[in-house]
Amino acid sequence: MQNLLKELQHTHLQHQTRRHFLQSCGFGLGALGLGSLMGSCTAASGDSTPQSVKTGIPQFAPKAKRVIYIHMAGAPSQLELFDYKPELIKYHGQDCPAEFLEGKKFAFIQGVPKMLGPQGKFAQYGQSGAWMSDYVPYLQTVADEITFLKAMHTDQFNHAPAQLLMHTGSARLGRPSLGAWSVYGLGSENQNLPGFIVLASGGQQPDAGKSVYGSGFLPSVYQGVQCRTGGDPVLYVSDPNGMNRGMRKQTIEAINEINRQTYEDVQDPEILTRISQYEMAFRMQMSVPEVMDVSKEPQFILDMYGVKPGEGTFAMNCLLARKLVENDVRFVQLFDWGWDGHGTSKDHNVEGGLRQKCRESDQPIAALIQDLKMRGLLEETLIIWGAEFGRTPMQENRNGLVMPFMGRDHHLDAFTMWMAGGGVKQGYSHGETDELGYYGVKGRVHVHDIQATILHLMGFDHEKFTYPFQGRNFRLTDTEGKVVKEVLA
Amino acid sequence: MFQLLLQSSGWALFIGRFHPLLVHLPIGFLLIAALLELGRRTNKINVGAPAIAFILLCSAIGASLACVAGYLLSLGGGYDALLLDRHKWQGIGVAAFAWVAWFVSIDKFKEKIPLVSTVYAGTLGLAVLLTMTAGHDGGSLTHGEGYLSQYTPEPFRTLAGMPPGKVPSEEIKPIENIEQALVYKDVVQPIMEMRCTQCHNASKSKGGLRLDDMSFIVKGGESGPALLAGNSAESDLIKKCLLPENDDQHMPPKGKPQLTNEQIALLSWWIEQGAPADKKVGELQKSDAVKPALASLTSGNPAGPAKSTVSPVLSLKVGQADEKQIDALRKAGLLVNSVSQDLNLLEVSAVNAKDFDDRQIALLTGLSGQIVSLKLGGTKITDASLKEIAKLKYLTKLHLDHTAISDAGLANLKSLDYLEYLNLIDTKITDNGLKSIASMKTMRSVYVWKSNATDSIVNQLNRSNPHVVITNGMSGPAIAQFLQIGKNAARDSTKAL
Repeated sequence: MQNLLKELQHTHLQHQTRRHFLQSCGFGLGALGLGSLMGSCTAASGDSTPQSVKTGIPQFAPKAKRVIYIHMAGAPSQLELFDYKPELIKYHGQDCPAEFLEGKKFAFIQGVPKMLGPQGKFAQYGQSGAWMSDYVPYLQTVADEITFLKAMHTDQFNHAPAQLLMHTGSARLGRPSLGAWSVYGLGSENQNLPGFIVLASGGQQPDAGKSVYGSGFLPSVYQGVQCRTGGDPVLYVSDPNGMNRGMRKQTIEAINEINRQTYEDVQDPEILTRISQYEMAFRMQMSVPEVMDVSKEPQFILDMYGVKPGEGTFAMNCLLARKLVENDVRFVQLFDWGWDGHGTSKDHNVEGGLRQKCRESDQPIAALIQDLKMRGLLEETLIIWGAEFGRTPMQENRNGLVMPFMGRDHHLDAFTMWMAGGGVKQGYSHGETDELGYYGVKGRVHVHDIQATILHLMGFDHEKFTYPFQGRNFRLTDTEGKVVKEVLA
Repeated sequence: MFQLLLQSSGWALFIGRFHPLLVHLPIGFLLIAALLELGRRTNKINVGAPAIAFILLCSAIGASLACVAGYLLSLGGGYDALLLDRHKWQGIGVAAFAWVAWFVSIDKFKEKIPLVSTVYAGTLGLAVLLTMTAGHDGGSLTHGEGYLSQYTPEPFRTLAGMPPGKVPSEEIKPIENIEQALVYKDVVQPIMEMRCTQCHNASKSKGGLRLDDMSFIVKGGESGPALLAGNSAESDLIKKCLLPENDDQHMPPKGKPQLTNEQIALLSWWIEQGAPADKKVGELQKSDAVKPALASLTSGNPAGPAKSTVSPVLSLKVGQADEKQIDALRKAGLLVNSVSQDLNLLEVSAVNAKDFDDRQIALLTGLSGQIVSLKLGGTKITDASLKEIAKLKYLTKLHLDHTAISDAGLANLKSLDYLEYLNLIDTKITDNGLKSIASMKTMRSVYVWKSNATDSIVNQLNRSNPHVVITNGMSGPAIAQFLQIGKNAARDSTKAL
């Protein structure tokens, strides 16, 4: 009897270890290896999705079929780029008025800081008369494509939570990102590419890490797949030495067959995710290197973006973003790090440092708009530009000291974002800040409002676009958010 | 003296404003009395004369009170004198005849008056008649003359000899060429008509002010001229609009549709420029503040595709697609999706089927009643396929980029009634093919980069077909210019540093 039990336990363990190890490897550490490379919903729609949303079908006809979201991590100063405040010049160097400081908390500002006048030279551009500074000379050429949101505001003054709020609707971890919601709702069109691709530049990942493009409680097929911009776009996707494509195919088919049997046993939808990930990874071996290869682009296009092949720059990411939406990738998320202009160093300030960041990004962004436009893609592609918050009209005085460079602290009461393309007005400015650029006084737009607007453009009512999790229906905008009707074309 | 006293106290207007409320009581009472009287005389109902007499008494009292309140309201001013006078005497007439009708209907007088029945019927009839005319004039005073018949539909409009309907629009019509537009006639007056002239016109000039014509604006009202040419900050017209909405002096009054910031900017700019009556926009200096406002008056941005319109196809109710047909398409590798959850319309894309060719194109015909968008970019189709595509009657968007199609195939598309978007990038089409496509009425955007269409024809067609925007790719010089702008600006800003 004892032996029999032992033997049972032994067989059970034997049965468990291999499958369980592989499973938990894949499910638990989703970011590991192949696990992070998925995104197509081709296999996962149907069985694993709840009744409330028919995935792949919008609630109403969308204006924007694809999105390129450009996030400037660290938060550039709106007062140097777009929000022209001539009054602030007069107050330059004066003590900040007490009413701006009462009851306020800043990330670094202490005591009474001095006001800091705008560092850029402003003028109006285009027929729409959009205000822009000499920091962004190229963007001036596409002023009439853009809708500005000048009175954005948020709830968080630290980078990571503010980025989470901007991308997942909540400052805490665990919610799906905007890109994940989009692919969950609209599905993925190109079966050989993930529906949600992330490209990062600037030398560092966004402060909030992978969660800003995660899938939260949505099935993990919907999370963003990060591709590298230099070298192999996706690591470990190419065949190892000595293994040819046929053998790889057989291997994957065998693994998927076992997975399919397990699914029939335990009915865990994550197994379907796993199967589709293997299939996707196999197809990506061919398609990803092809779409990420810019060597076939004509020289004038490379010049337009200011790209040199082989560089992993923001400019390269803009060009790749165009190639991806051209191949019907649903959501392309660009992050560029290094915009945190506190005035602490040569690179991080609102004078030379910010100018340098703009030099690197201004031309490719304008080129991206022009390029999409002449390819007939801008009509259905929504471009969003923004950061997690804005910057103060006051000069930062960290620890009460004078900073080596002109800098501004994090500011949550007013900042600028812009959108262009699919379904937004061409050449329009929404919202206004007060004469010092401290508070929005007209047309204020909260983070949840812009999220609601983006979902609206993609064909979803943000209040009805939900996913049941832990006993309640969750949505991107939580319990807030209003569509900014004024910016819709 | 008495009038002055009343005018200076708030009481007059307080009571006066009850006039529109009180006035409905005698109207109702008189009609009821007349109806009962009719019913009684034709033996349709059983009602006693005293009952009718009591109702007549009520209407006489009500009419008298309404007269008093009406008089007090009129002291507030701003009404057309002639119309007001007529309304006043008609109102007094209603009250007087109601009293007489009541008086003769009382039993104890009945025997003493000769022809009592005739007098009774006559006065009651006259009172009812006057109620109608006084009511109509009162309505004209409050809402403006012509309010009742403003929306008279055809053919009654022509039968009544009225001029073709001119409905005050909630939106100012876009101006095609803003530089050539007359500042007063095309910019200022439409704003006035939309927001001001309802209360400041010939028949109703609140505050003694009329804003329906240039001469009256200059003349102003009780508080002086409405504008001070060259100084918008001191012009009442602008000042009143900029007051807080809760301020009694704010215009338009609280609760009425307000002017937008752009409209105020336009009016201020016009006044700053001396409030010219017949200058064109192009002749005046434009401040930075007014540029976006002026831009908002144009019919959208001529540089980009007009995207605001929604295809009429989306409001069509079409039948459900045949599942078998959809499956056949999917088997061929095509992506078939519903446009949205509440529509049976379909979008078809060959993004995953680049080998799709002429032999498979007939598969689409089975869904000709549903397909609105078709993406065949980069596939192996040729001109032969376009004959089948032309059968997709609801097609609004068509991607044929990077295919072998040419002018010959393109000609088939002319039969499509809803086609709005056509992508012909990297095809063999030429200027001739493009010409025929550009004249399609519904067409809004055509993309022809890397085809054989030339820049000169693209520019020419864009000028001659304002409804369509044809986009060619940026040429070498255009890209060089784009890069130069940035280089110049970068050099300037380095200098500034």
